[in-house]
Amino acid sequence: MSISTGSIAKLLTEPTSGERTRQRVNLVMRVLVGIAAFLAILPLVALIVFVVLKAAPYLVPSFFANNPLDTEPGILNAIVGSLQLSGLTVLISGPIGIAGGVFLSEFASPRVVAIGETAIDVMLGVPSIVAGVFAYLILVPVLGFSGWAAVAALSILTLPIMMRSTQEVLRLVPQAIREASLALGVPVWKTALFVSVRTALPGILTGVILAFSRALGETAPLLMTARGTNAENWLDFSTTMNAMPIVIYQYSNAASDLLIGQAWATALVLMTIALTINVLVRGRTVNSRTA
Amino acid sequence: MESGERNAHTSPAGAMDELAQATARPTAQKAARAASSDNDAGRLTLDNVSARYGAFRAVKDVTLAVRPKSVTALIGPSGCGKSTLIRTINRMHETLPGATVSGSITLDGVDLYSSNVDPVRARRVVGMVFQKPNPFPTMSISENVSSGLRLTGGTSKSEIEGIVEDSLRRAALWDEVKEKLNQPGTSLSGGQQQRLCIARTIAVKPRVVLMDEPCSALDPVATLKIEELIRDLAAEYTIVIVTHNMQQASRVSDETAFFSMDDDRAGYLVETGPTAEMFTNPKQALTEGYIQGRFG
Repeated sequence: MSISTGSIAKLLTEPTSGERTRQRVNLVMRVLVGIAAFLAILPLVALIVFVVLKAAPYLVPSFFANNPLDTEPGILNAIVGSLQLSGLTVLISGPIGIAGGVFLSEFASPRVVAIGETAIDVMLGVPSIVAGVFAYLILVPVLGFSGWAAVAALSILTLPIMMRSTQEVLRLVPQAIREASLALGVPVWKTALFVSVRTALPGILTGVILAFSRALGETAPLLMTARGTNAENWLDFSTTMNAMPIVIYQYSNAASDLLIGQAWATALVLMTIALTINVLVRGRTVNSRTA
Repeated sequence: MESGERNAHTSPAGAMDELAQATARPTAQKAARAASSDNDAGRLTLDNVSARYGAFRAVKDVTLAVRPKSVTALIGPSGCGKSTLIRTINRMHETLPGATVSGSITLDGVDLYSSNVDPVRARRVVGMVFQKPNPFPTMSISENVSSGLRLTGGTSKSEIEGIVEDSLRRAALWDEVKEKLNQPGTSLSGGQQQRLCIARTIAVKPRVVLMDEPCSALDPVATLKIEELIRDLAAEYTIVIVTHNMQQASRVSDETAFFSMDDDRAGYLVETGPTAEMFTNPKQALTEGYIQGRFG
Protein backbone atom coordinates (compact mmCIF):
# COMPACT_ATOMS: atom_id res chain seq x y z
CA MET A 1 0.00 0.00 0.00
CA SER A 2 2.10 2.85 -1.28
CA ILE A 3 0.97 6.43 -1.03
CA SER A 4 2.32 9.01 -3.39
CA THR A 5 4.09 12.08 -2.00
CA GLY A 6 1.34 14.34 -3.23
CA SER A 7 -1.35 12.53 -1.28
CA ILE A 8 0.72 12.65 1.93
CA ALA A 9 1.00 16.43 1.64
CA LYS A 10 -2.73 16.59 1.07
CA LEU A 11 -3.34 14.30 4.04
CA LEU A 12 -1.29 16.53 6.30
CA THR A 13 -2.49 19.95 5.23
CA GLU A 14 -6.06 19.72 4.02
CA PRO A 15 -8.50 19.74 6.97
CA THR A 16 -11.67 17.71 6.80
CA SER A 17 -14.99 19.22 7.84
CA GLY A 18 -14.95 17.25 11.09
CA GLU A 19 -11.61 18.74 11.97
CA ARG A 20 -12.85 22.27 11.27
CA THR A 21 -15.72 21.69 13.70
CA ARG A 22 -13.31 20.37 16.29
CA GLN A 23 -11.10 23.43 15.94
CA ARG A 24 -14.08 25.76 16.34
CA VAL A 25 -15.33 23.90 19.43
CA ASN A 26 -11.83 24.03 20.78
CA LEU A 27 -11.69 27.80 20.40
CA VAL A 28 -15.09 28.33 22.05
CA MET A 29 -14.17 26.13 24.95
CA ARG A 30 -10.88 27.92 25.49
CA VAL A 31 -12.63 31.27 25.60
CA LEU A 32 -15.27 29.91 28.01
CA VAL A 33 -12.79 28.50 30.53
CA GLY A 34 -10.75 31.69 30.19
CA ILE A 35 -13.79 33.76 31.16
CA ALA A 36 -14.53 31.40 34.06
CA ALA A 37 -10.98 31.75 35.33
CA PHE A 38 -11.24 35.54 35.06
CA LEU A 39 -14.53 35.52 37.00
CA ALA A 40 -12.91 33.45 39.72
CA ILE A 41 -10.05 35.89 40.13
CA LEU A 42 -12.24 39.00 39.89
CA PRO A 43 -13.53 38.97 43.51
CA LEU A 44 -9.98 38.57 44.80
CA VAL A 45 -8.76 41.54 42.78
CA ALA A 46 -11.83 43.59 43.73
CA LEU A 47 -11.33 42.71 47.38
CA ILE A 48 -7.70 43.75 47.42
CA VAL A 49 -8.35 46.97 45.48
CA PHE A 50 -11.27 47.94 47.73
CA VAL A 51 -9.48 47.21 50.99
CA VAL A 52 -6.36 49.07 49.89
CA LEU A 53 -8.29 52.11 48.66
CA LYS A 54 -10.52 52.30 51.73
CA ALA A 55 -7.68 51.63 54.17
CA ALA A 56 -4.99 53.89 52.70
CA PRO A 57 -6.11 57.20 54.31
CA TYR A 58 -6.11 55.65 57.76
CA LEU A 59 -2.68 54.03 57.63
CA VAL A 60 -0.82 56.60 59.72
CA PRO A 61 1.92 55.87 62.28
CA SER A 62 -0.43 56.50 65.22
CA PHE A 63 -2.73 53.77 63.90
CA PHE A 64 0.00 51.23 64.62
CA ALA A 65 1.47 52.89 67.71
CA ASN A 66 -1.60 53.80 69.78
CA ASN A 67 -4.48 52.07 71.49
CA PRO A 68 -8.20 52.69 70.79
CA LEU A 69 -8.77 55.21 73.62
CA ASP A 70 -5.72 57.39 72.88
CA THR A 71 -6.36 60.84 71.43
CA GLU A 72 -5.13 59.61 68.08
CA PRO A 73 -6.62 56.11 68.28
CA GLY A 74 -4.88 53.06 66.86
CA ILE A 75 -5.04 49.27 67.02
CA LEU A 76 -1.73 48.42 68.64
CA ASN A 77 -3.46 46.35 71.32
CA ALA A 78 -5.32 44.35 68.68
CA ILE A 79 -2.16 43.55 66.72
CA VAL A 80 -0.37 42.56 69.92
CA GLY A 81 -3.39 40.55 71.08
CA SER A 82 -3.78 38.68 67.78
CA LEU A 83 -0.12 37.70 67.68
CA GLN A 84 -0.21 36.54 71.30
CA LEU A 85 -3.41 34.51 70.89
CA SER A 86 -2.22 32.83 67.68
CA GLY A 87 1.27 32.33 69.09
CA LEU A 88 0.08 30.59 72.23
CA THR A 89 -2.44 28.57 70.22
CA VAL A 90 0.36 27.23 68.03
CA LEU A 91 2.57 26.60 71.06
CA ILE A 92 -0.15 24.43 72.57
CA SER A 93 -1.67 22.73 69.52
CA GLY A 94 1.67 22.44 67.69
CA PRO A 95 3.42 19.87 69.88
CA ILE A 96 0.22 17.88 70.45
CA GLY A 97 -0.77 17.97 66.78
CA ILE A 98 2.71 17.05 65.56
CA ALA A 99 2.96 14.20 68.06
CA GLY A 100 -0.46 12.96 66.96
CA GLY A 101 0.53 13.12 63.30
CA VAL A 102 3.77 11.24 64.00
CA PHE A 103 1.81 8.59 65.87
CA LEU A 104 -0.64 8.11 63.00
CA SER A 105 2.07 8.00 60.37
CA GLU A 106 4.81 6.01 62.11
CA PHE A 107 3.30 3.87 64.85
CA ALA A 108 -0.43 3.30 64.49
CA SER A 109 -1.88 0.14 62.97
CA PRO A 110 -3.95 0.58 59.79
CA ARG A 111 -7.14 0.22 61.86
CA VAL A 112 -6.15 2.96 64.27
CA VAL A 113 -5.05 5.13 61.35
CA ALA A 114 -8.51 4.81 59.80
CA ILE A 115 -10.16 5.82 63.08
CA GLY A 116 -7.71 8.68 63.59
CA GLU A 117 -8.18 10.03 60.09
CA THR A 118 -11.95 9.99 60.46
CA ALA A 119 -11.60 11.87 63.74
CA ILE A 120 -9.38 14.46 62.06
CA ASP A 121 -11.89 14.86 59.22
CA VAL A 122 -14.68 15.44 61.71
CA MET A 123 -12.60 17.94 63.66
CA LEU A 124 -11.60 19.75 60.47
CA GLY A 125 -15.29 20.05 59.66
CA VAL A 126 -16.19 21.68 63.00
CA PRO A 127 -17.37 25.23 62.17
CA SER A 128 -15.43 27.82 64.13
CA ILE A 129 -18.64 29.11 65.74
CA VAL A 130 -19.14 25.66 67.27
CA ALA A 131 -15.67 25.76 68.81
CA GLY A 132 -16.60 29.24 70.04
CA VAL A 133 -19.86 28.11 71.56
CA PHE A 134 -18.07 25.25 73.29
CA ALA A 135 -15.55 27.63 74.83
CA TYR A 136 -18.26 30.19 75.64
CA LEU A 137 -20.58 27.79 77.44
CA ILE A 138 -18.02 25.49 79.07
CA LEU A 139 -14.87 27.54 79.64
CA VAL A 140 -16.03 31.14 79.95
CA PRO A 141 -18.20 30.42 83.04
CA VAL A 142 -15.04 29.10 84.74
CA LEU A 143 -12.29 31.30 83.28
CA GLY A 144 -14.33 34.37 82.40
CA PHE A 145 -13.91 36.21 79.08
CA SER A 146 -10.22 35.62 78.64
CA GLY A 147 -7.28 34.86 76.44
CA TRP A 148 -7.18 31.33 77.83
CA ALA A 149 -10.71 30.58 76.66
CA ALA A 150 -9.84 32.05 73.25
CA VAL A 151 -6.67 29.98 73.00
CA ALA A 152 -8.64 26.85 73.91
CA ALA A 153 -11.21 27.51 71.18
CA LEU A 154 -8.50 28.30 68.61
CA SER A 155 -6.56 25.17 69.58
CA ILE A 156 -9.61 23.02 68.89
CA LEU A 157 -9.57 24.45 65.38
CA THR A 158 -5.82 24.24 64.70
CA LEU A 159 -5.15 20.84 66.26
CA PRO A 160 -6.58 18.79 63.37
CA ILE A 161 -4.76 21.02 60.88
CA MET A 162 -1.46 20.28 62.58
CA MET A 163 -2.14 16.55 62.76
CA ARG A 164 -3.20 16.31 59.16
CA SER A 165 -0.30 18.31 57.77
CA THR A 166 2.24 16.41 59.85
CA GLN A 167 0.80 13.06 58.84
CA GLU A 168 0.75 14.07 55.21
CA VAL A 169 4.35 15.26 54.97
CA LEU A 170 5.52 12.17 56.83
CA ARG A 171 3.70 10.08 54.25
CA LEU A 172 5.93 11.68 51.61
CA VAL A 173 9.08 10.36 53.32
CA PRO A 174 10.09 7.34 51.22
CA GLN A 175 9.71 3.98 52.96
CA ALA A 176 13.24 3.16 51.71
CA ILE A 177 14.66 5.78 54.09
CA ARG A 178 12.92 4.20 57.09
CA GLU A 179 14.06 0.73 56.02
CA ALA A 180 17.62 1.96 55.65
CA SER A 181 17.53 3.13 59.25
CA LEU A 182 15.84 0.01 60.63
CA ALA A 183 18.32 -2.20 58.76
CA LEU A 184 21.17 -0.42 60.57
CA GLY A 185 19.73 -1.65 63.85
CA VAL A 186 18.23 1.69 64.79
CA PRO A 187 15.17 1.29 67.07
CA VAL A 188 11.77 2.21 65.65
CA TRP A 189 11.28 5.30 67.82
CA LYS A 190 14.69 6.69 66.92
CA THR A 191 13.99 6.00 63.25
CA ALA A 192 10.70 7.87 63.55
CA LEU A 193 12.27 10.84 65.30
CA PHE A 194 15.74 11.23 63.80
CA VAL A 195 15.05 9.93 60.30
CA SER A 196 11.36 10.32 59.35
CA VAL A 197 10.54 13.49 61.29
CA ARG A 198 13.95 14.98 60.55
CA THR A 199 13.42 14.42 56.83
CA ALA A 200 9.91 15.88 56.93
CA LEU A 201 10.80 18.76 59.25
CA PRO A 202 10.51 21.61 56.69
CA GLY A 203 7.02 20.40 55.79
CA ILE A 204 6.00 20.03 59.43
CA LEU A 205 7.12 23.59 60.18
CA THR A 206 5.16 24.79 57.18
CA GLY A 207 2.09 23.22 58.78
CA VAL A 208 2.78 25.09 62.02
CA ILE A 209 2.99 28.40 60.19
CA LEU A 210 -0.21 27.76 58.24
CA ALA A 211 -2.00 26.88 61.51
CA PHE A 212 -0.74 30.18 62.92
CA SER A 213 -2.18 32.11 60.00
CA ARG A 214 -5.47 30.23 60.33
CA ALA A 215 -5.70 31.16 64.03
CA LEU A 216 -4.91 34.76 63.15
CA GLY A 217 -8.00 35.12 60.99
CA GLU A 218 -10.57 33.35 63.20
CA THR A 219 -13.29 35.69 64.40
CA ALA A 220 -16.32 33.94 65.84
CA PRO A 221 -14.57 32.10 68.70
CA LEU A 222 -12.77 35.30 69.69
CA LEU A 223 -15.98 37.33 69.94
CA MET A 224 -17.30 34.75 72.38
CA THR A 225 -14.12 34.37 74.44
CA ALA A 226 -11.45 37.10 74.35
CA ARG A 227 -14.26 39.57 73.55
CA GLY A 228 -12.02 42.56 72.91
CA THR A 229 -10.86 45.40 75.10
CA ASN A 230 -9.50 48.89 74.72
CA ALA A 231 -6.59 48.20 77.02
CA GLU A 232 -3.20 46.94 75.99
CA ASN A 233 -2.67 43.40 77.26
CA TRP A 234 0.75 41.81 77.33
CA LEU A 235 0.71 38.11 78.14
CA ASP A 236 -2.16 38.28 80.65
CA PHE A 237 -4.30 35.52 79.21
CA SER A 238 -6.58 35.46 82.22
CA THR A 239 -8.44 38.58 81.17
CA THR A 240 -9.99 39.99 78.00
CA MET A 241 -7.75 40.59 75.00
CA ASN A 242 -8.18 42.58 71.85
CA ALA A 243 -7.61 41.02 68.43
CA MET A 244 -7.74 42.28 64.85
CA PRO A 245 -10.78 40.26 63.75
CA ILE A 246 -12.72 41.59 66.77
CA VAL A 247 -11.75 45.16 65.87
CA ILE A 248 -12.85 44.66 62.27
CA TYR A 249 -16.20 43.25 63.34
CA GLN A 250 -16.96 45.88 65.99
CA TYR A 251 -15.67 48.94 64.11
CA SER A 252 -17.51 48.13 60.90
CA ASN A 253 -20.78 48.40 62.85
CA ALA A 254 -19.76 51.72 64.38
CA ALA A 255 -21.45 55.04 63.55
CA SER A 256 -18.21 56.85 62.94
CA ASP A 257 -16.30 57.34 59.71
CA LEU A 258 -13.01 57.10 61.58
CA LEU A 259 -13.86 53.72 63.09
CA ILE A 260 -15.22 52.34 59.81
CA GLY A 261 -12.06 53.53 58.11
CA GLN A 262 -9.99 51.86 60.81
CA ALA A 263 -11.93 48.64 60.25
CA TRP A 264 -10.76 48.72 56.61
CA ALA A 265 -7.22 49.51 57.70
CA THR A 266 -7.21 46.66 60.23
CA ALA A 267 -8.49 44.32 57.54
CA LEU A 268 -5.57 45.37 55.34
CA VAL A 269 -3.07 44.72 58.15
CA LEU A 270 -4.54 41.30 58.88
CA MET A 271 -4.64 40.41 55.19
CA THR A 272 -1.06 41.55 54.67
CA ILE A 273 0.23 39.44 57.56
CA ALA A 274 -1.67 36.34 56.42
CA LEU A 275 -0.68 36.82 52.79
CA THR A 276 2.97 37.36 53.67
CA ILE A 277 3.01 34.18 55.73
CA ASN A 278 1.41 32.19 52.93
CA VAL A 279 3.78 33.52 50.29
CA LEU A 280 6.81 32.87 52.50
CA VAL A 281 5.66 29.34 53.21
CA ARG A 282 5.00 28.71 49.55
CA GLY A 283 8.49 29.90 48.64
CA ARG A 284 9.97 27.65 51.31
CA THR A 285 8.10 24.58 50.18
CA VAL A 286 9.02 25.10 46.56
CA ASN A 287 12.67 25.57 47.53
CA SER A 288 12.85 22.49 49.70
CA ARG A 289 11.22 20.44 46.97
CA THR A 290 13.75 21.42 44.34
CA ALA A 291 16.76 21.28 46.66
CA MET B 1 32.32 -4.06 76.76
CA GLU B 2 29.47 -4.03 74.38
CA SER B 3 30.62 -0.94 72.51
CA GLY B 4 34.26 -1.86 72.90
CA GLU B 5 33.81 -5.09 71.03
CA ARG B 6 31.67 -3.58 68.37
CA ASN B 7 34.32 -1.00 67.69
CA ALA B 8 37.14 -3.43 67.17
CA HIS B 9 37.42 -4.77 63.66
CA THR B 10 39.88 -7.31 65.01
CA SER B 11 37.20 -9.11 66.97
CA PRO B 12 34.88 -10.49 64.33
CA ALA B 13 32.87 -12.59 66.75
CA GLY B 14 32.17 -9.71 69.10
CA ALA B 15 28.71 -9.03 67.88
CA MET B 16 27.88 -12.70 67.91
CA ASP B 17 28.86 -12.89 71.56
CA GLU B 18 26.75 -9.88 72.11
CA LEU B 19 23.83 -11.50 70.37
CA ALA B 20 24.37 -14.73 72.26
CA GLN B 21 24.36 -12.95 75.58
CA ALA B 22 21.00 -11.56 74.72
CA THR B 23 19.77 -15.13 74.64
CA ALA B 24 19.76 -16.76 78.02
CA ARG B 25 20.21 -20.23 76.58
CA PRO B 26 23.57 -21.68 77.55
CA THR B 27 23.74 -23.91 74.49
CA ALA B 28 23.54 -20.89 72.23
CA GLN B 29 26.32 -19.20 74.13
CA LYS B 30 28.47 -22.24 73.84
CA ALA B 31 27.85 -22.45 70.14
CA ALA B 32 28.72 -18.82 69.69
CA ARG B 33 31.94 -19.20 71.65
CA ALA B 34 32.91 -22.23 69.64
CA ALA B 35 32.27 -20.33 66.46
CA SER B 36 34.39 -17.37 67.53
CA SER B 37 37.29 -19.52 68.63
CA ASP B 38 37.87 -21.05 65.21
CA ASN B 39 37.52 -17.62 63.62
CA ASP B 40 34.83 -18.98 61.40
CA ALA B 41 32.16 -16.54 62.51
CA GLY B 42 29.22 -15.67 60.32
CA ARG B 43 27.84 -19.09 59.48
CA LEU B 44 24.24 -18.70 58.49
CA THR B 45 21.84 -21.62 58.47
CA LEU B 46 18.31 -21.44 57.15
CA ASP B 47 16.13 -24.33 58.16
CA ASN B 48 12.68 -24.80 56.65
CA VAL B 49 12.13 -21.08 56.31
CA SER B 50 8.75 -19.94 55.02
CA ALA B 51 7.70 -16.32 54.66
CA ARG B 52 4.15 -15.08 54.31
CA TYR B 53 2.37 -11.86 53.49
CA GLY B 54 -0.88 -12.42 55.33
CA ALA B 55 -2.22 -15.70 53.98
CA PHE B 56 -0.02 -15.68 50.88
CA ARG B 57 3.12 -17.76 51.19
CA ALA B 58 5.89 -16.09 49.20
CA VAL B 59 8.70 -18.40 50.25
CA LYS B 60 8.30 -22.02 51.27
CA ASP B 61 10.52 -24.41 53.17
CA VAL B 62 13.92 -23.06 52.25
CA THR B 63 16.80 -24.92 53.83
CA LEU B 64 20.15 -23.42 53.01
CA ALA B 65 23.59 -23.31 54.60
CA VAL B 66 25.60 -20.18 53.89
CA ARG B 67 29.36 -20.51 54.27
CA PRO B 68 30.99 -17.84 56.43
CA LYS B 69 33.13 -15.19 54.74
CA SER B 70 31.94 -16.05 51.28
CA VAL B 71 29.52 -14.67 48.74
CA THR B 72 26.31 -16.57 48.16
CA ALA B 73 24.18 -15.47 45.21
CA LEU B 74 20.44 -16.03 45.12
CA ILE B 75 19.21 -16.23 41.54
CA GLY B 76 15.90 -17.08 39.94
CA PRO B 77 13.02 -15.56 38.01
CA SER B 78 11.17 -12.47 39.22
CA GLY B 79 8.66 -13.03 41.98
CA CYS B 80 10.21 -16.22 43.31
CA GLY B 81 10.75 -14.76 46.75
CA LYS B 82 14.50 -14.08 46.75
CA SER B 83 14.14 -10.57 48.16
CA THR B 84 11.55 -11.74 50.65
CA LEU B 85 13.89 -14.49 51.77
CA ILE B 86 16.87 -12.24 52.47
CA ARG B 87 14.61 -9.82 54.30
CA THR B 88 13.79 -12.63 56.71
CA ILE B 89 17.48 -12.96 57.58
CA ASN B 90 17.75 -9.51 59.16
CA ARG B 91 14.15 -9.61 60.41
CA MET B 92 13.06 -6.81 58.08
CA HIS B 93 10.30 -8.94 56.61
CA GLU B 94 8.25 -8.76 59.78
CA THR B 95 8.22 -4.94 59.72
CA LEU B 96 5.59 -5.08 56.96
CA PRO B 97 1.99 -5.35 58.13
CA GLY B 98 0.78 -8.96 58.16
CA ALA B 99 4.17 -10.41 57.27
CA THR B 100 5.27 -13.51 59.17
CA VAL B 101 8.17 -15.97 59.13
CA SER B 102 8.32 -19.60 60.18
CA GLY B 103 11.22 -22.04 60.39
CA SER B 104 14.54 -21.11 61.92
CA ILE B 105 17.47 -18.97 60.88
CA THR B 106 20.59 -19.38 62.96
CA LEU B 107 23.77 -17.36 62.91
CA ASP B 108 26.70 -19.21 64.50
CA GLY B 109 24.25 -21.36 66.36
CA VAL B 110 22.05 -18.54 67.68
CA ASP B 111 18.48 -18.57 66.45
CA LEU B 112 17.81 -15.06 65.16
CA TYR B 113 14.10 -15.62 65.79
CA SER B 114 14.55 -16.81 69.35
CA SER B 115 12.33 -14.85 71.72
CA ASN B 116 15.46 -13.58 73.45
CA VAL B 117 16.89 -11.95 70.35
CA ASP B 118 15.73 -8.36 69.90
CA PRO B 119 15.12 -7.76 66.18
CA VAL B 120 16.89 -4.41 66.51
CA ARG B 121 20.01 -6.23 67.68
CA ALA B 122 19.70 -8.86 64.96
CA ARG B 123 19.70 -6.05 62.37
CA ARG B 124 22.90 -4.65 63.83
CA VAL B 125 24.61 -7.98 63.29
CA VAL B 126 23.04 -8.62 59.88
CA GLY B 127 23.40 -5.50 57.73
CA MET B 128 21.57 -4.83 54.49
CA VAL B 129 22.15 -2.92 51.26
CA PHE B 130 19.03 -2.16 49.25
CA GLN B 131 18.18 -2.21 45.58
CA LYS B 132 17.99 1.55 45.18
CA PRO B 133 20.66 3.62 46.88
CA ASN B 134 18.91 5.19 49.88
CA PRO B 135 21.21 7.63 51.66
CA PHE B 136 19.50 9.79 54.29
CA PRO B 137 18.59 12.99 52.42
CA THR B 138 19.08 15.28 55.41
CA MET B 139 22.55 14.02 56.23
CA SER B 140 26.00 14.79 54.86
CA ILE B 141 28.25 12.08 53.42
CA SER B 142 30.06 11.70 56.72
CA GLU B 143 26.84 11.78 58.76
CA ASN B 144 25.36 9.10 56.53
CA VAL B 145 28.26 6.77 57.27
CA SER B 146 28.12 7.46 61.01
CA SER B 147 24.30 7.43 61.18
CA GLY B 148 24.02 3.87 62.46
CA LEU B 149 26.62 4.48 65.17
CA ARG B 150 25.17 7.81 66.22
CA LEU B 151 21.58 6.58 66.28
CA THR B 152 22.34 3.41 68.17
CA GLY B 153 24.66 5.14 70.63
CA GLY B 154 27.61 3.80 72.58
CA THR B 155 30.33 5.12 70.28
CA SER B 156 32.34 8.22 71.18
CA LYS B 157 32.77 11.12 68.76
CA SER B 158 36.49 10.55 68.36
CA GLU B 159 35.98 6.89 67.50
CA ILE B 160 33.26 7.76 65.02
CA GLU B 161 35.60 9.95 62.97
CA GLY B 162 38.03 7.07 62.53
CA ILE B 163 35.27 4.60 61.70
CA VAL B 164 33.85 6.96 59.04
CA GLU B 165 37.18 7.12 57.23
CA ASP B 166 37.81 3.41 57.64
CA SER B 167 34.34 2.47 56.33
CA LEU B 168 34.62 4.81 53.36
CA ARG B 169 38.02 3.31 52.51
CA ARG B 170 36.62 -0.20 52.71
CA ALA B 171 33.76 0.86 50.47
CA ALA B 172 36.33 2.21 47.96
CA LEU B 173 34.77 5.66 48.19
CA TRP B 174 37.20 7.58 50.40
CA ASP B 175 39.35 9.05 47.63
CA GLU B 176 36.31 10.36 45.80
CA VAL B 177 34.67 12.03 48.79
CA LYS B 178 37.42 12.91 51.29
CA GLU B 179 37.36 16.56 50.18
CA LYS B 180 33.58 16.92 50.54
CA LEU B 181 32.54 14.91 53.57
CA ASN B 182 30.13 17.64 54.65
CA GLN B 183 28.19 17.76 51.41
CA PRO B 184 24.81 16.01 51.27
CA GLY B 185 24.93 12.28 50.61
CA THR B 186 22.36 12.74 47.88
CA SER B 187 24.77 14.96 45.91
CA LEU B 188 26.76 11.89 44.87
CA SER B 189 26.18 9.86 41.70
CA GLY B 190 24.05 6.71 41.89
CA GLY B 191 27.06 4.37 42.04
CA GLN B 192 28.74 6.51 44.69
CA GLN B 193 25.52 6.63 46.67
CA GLN B 194 25.35 2.86 46.67
CA ARG B 195 28.94 2.62 47.89
CA LEU B 196 28.01 5.20 50.53
CA CYS B 197 25.19 2.92 51.61
CA ILE B 198 27.64 0.02 51.78
CA ALA B 199 29.99 2.15 53.90
CA ARG B 200 27.06 3.04 56.14
CA THR B 201 26.19 -0.64 56.50
CA ILE B 202 29.70 -1.82 57.38
CA ALA B 203 30.28 1.11 59.75
CA VAL B 204 28.10 -0.60 62.37
CA LYS B 205 30.29 -3.71 61.98
CA PRO B 206 27.81 -6.38 61.01
CA ARG B 207 28.90 -9.98 60.56
CA VAL B 208 26.61 -10.68 57.64
CA VAL B 209 25.83 -8.25 54.80
CA LEU B 210 22.70 -8.82 52.74
CA MET B 211 22.47 -7.20 49.32
CA ASP B 212 19.18 -6.99 47.48
CA GLU B 213 20.04 -6.45 43.80
CA PRO B 214 22.53 -3.74 44.76
CA CYS B 215 23.48 -2.94 41.17
CA SER B 216 20.15 -3.03 39.38
CA ALA B 217 19.83 0.76 39.48
CA LEU B 218 23.42 1.39 38.39
CA ASP B 219 25.30 1.73 35.12
CA PRO B 220 27.84 -0.94 34.05
CA VAL B 221 30.91 0.96 35.29
CA ALA B 222 29.41 1.55 38.72
CA THR B 223 28.24 -2.06 38.75
CA LEU B 224 31.76 -3.32 38.15
CA LYS B 225 33.07 -1.19 41.02
CA ILE B 226 30.46 -2.56 43.40
CA GLU B 227 31.24 -6.10 42.28
CA GLU B 228 34.94 -5.62 43.02
CA LEU B 229 33.94 -4.23 46.37
CA ILE B 230 31.77 -7.25 47.12
CA ARG B 231 34.72 -9.54 46.44
CA ASP B 232 36.91 -7.50 48.81
CA LEU B 233 34.27 -7.46 51.52
CA ALA B 234 33.90 -11.24 51.35
CA ALA B 235 37.22 -11.54 53.16
CA GLU B 236 35.55 -10.22 56.29
CA TYR B 237 31.82 -10.64 55.95
CA THR B 238 29.38 -13.33 55.04
CA ILE B 239 27.59 -11.90 52.03
CA VAL B 240 24.24 -12.96 50.59
CA ILE B 241 23.35 -11.21 47.36
CA VAL B 242 20.16 -11.32 45.33
CA THR B 243 20.75 -10.69 41.65
CA HIS B 244 18.88 -10.90 38.37
CA ASN B 245 22.09 -10.72 36.47
CA MET B 246 23.49 -14.16 35.73
CA GLN B 247 26.92 -12.80 34.78
CA GLN B 248 27.01 -10.93 38.05
CA ALA B 249 26.25 -14.08 39.99
CA SER B 250 29.05 -15.92 38.21
CA ARG B 251 31.50 -13.06 38.69
CA VAL B 252 31.00 -12.33 42.38
CA SER B 253 29.70 -15.42 44.10
CA ASP B 254 31.30 -18.52 45.56
CA GLU B 255 28.03 -20.35 45.99
CA THR B 256 24.83 -19.99 44.03
CA ALA B 257 21.33 -20.88 45.11
CA PHE B 258 18.70 -21.16 42.41
CA PHE B 259 15.07 -20.41 43.26
CA SER B 260 11.93 -20.95 41.31
CA MET B 261 8.23 -20.48 41.71
CA ASP B 262 5.77 -23.28 42.33
CA ASP B 263 2.25 -23.51 40.94
CA ASP B 264 0.97 -21.84 44.12
CA ARG B 265 3.29 -18.88 43.38
CA ALA B 266 5.43 -19.70 46.39
CA GLY B 267 9.18 -19.45 45.86
CA TYR B 268 11.29 -22.48 46.70
CA LEU B 269 14.92 -23.46 46.51
CA VAL B 270 15.63 -25.68 43.50
CA GLU B 271 19.28 -26.39 44.13
CA THR B 272 22.43 -24.91 45.52
CA GLY B 273 26.12 -25.52 44.99
CA PRO B 274 29.47 -23.95 44.15
CA THR B 275 28.91 -21.25 41.54
CA ALA B 276 31.26 -22.75 38.96
CA GLU B 277 29.45 -26.05 39.17
CA MET B 278 26.00 -24.49 39.04
CA PHE B 279 26.82 -22.61 35.87
CA THR B 280 28.60 -25.41 34.05
CA ASN B 281 26.96 -28.52 35.32
CA PRO B 282 23.67 -27.91 37.12
CA LYS B 283 21.94 -30.98 38.48
CA GLN B 284 18.39 -29.88 37.77
CA ALA B 285 17.00 -29.35 34.30
CA LEU B 286 15.10 -26.31 35.63
CA THR B 287 18.35 -24.64 36.69
CA GLU B 288 19.99 -25.40 33.38
CA GLY B 289 17.06 -23.92 31.49
CA TYR B 290 17.14 -20.73 33.52
CA ILE B 291 20.88 -20.27 33.28
CA GLN B 292 20.85 -20.81 29.53
CA GLY B 293 18.11 -18.22 29.23
CA ARG B 294 15.33 -20.56 28.16
CA PHE B 295 12.91 -19.04 30.69
CA GLY B 296 12.65 -16.47 33.47
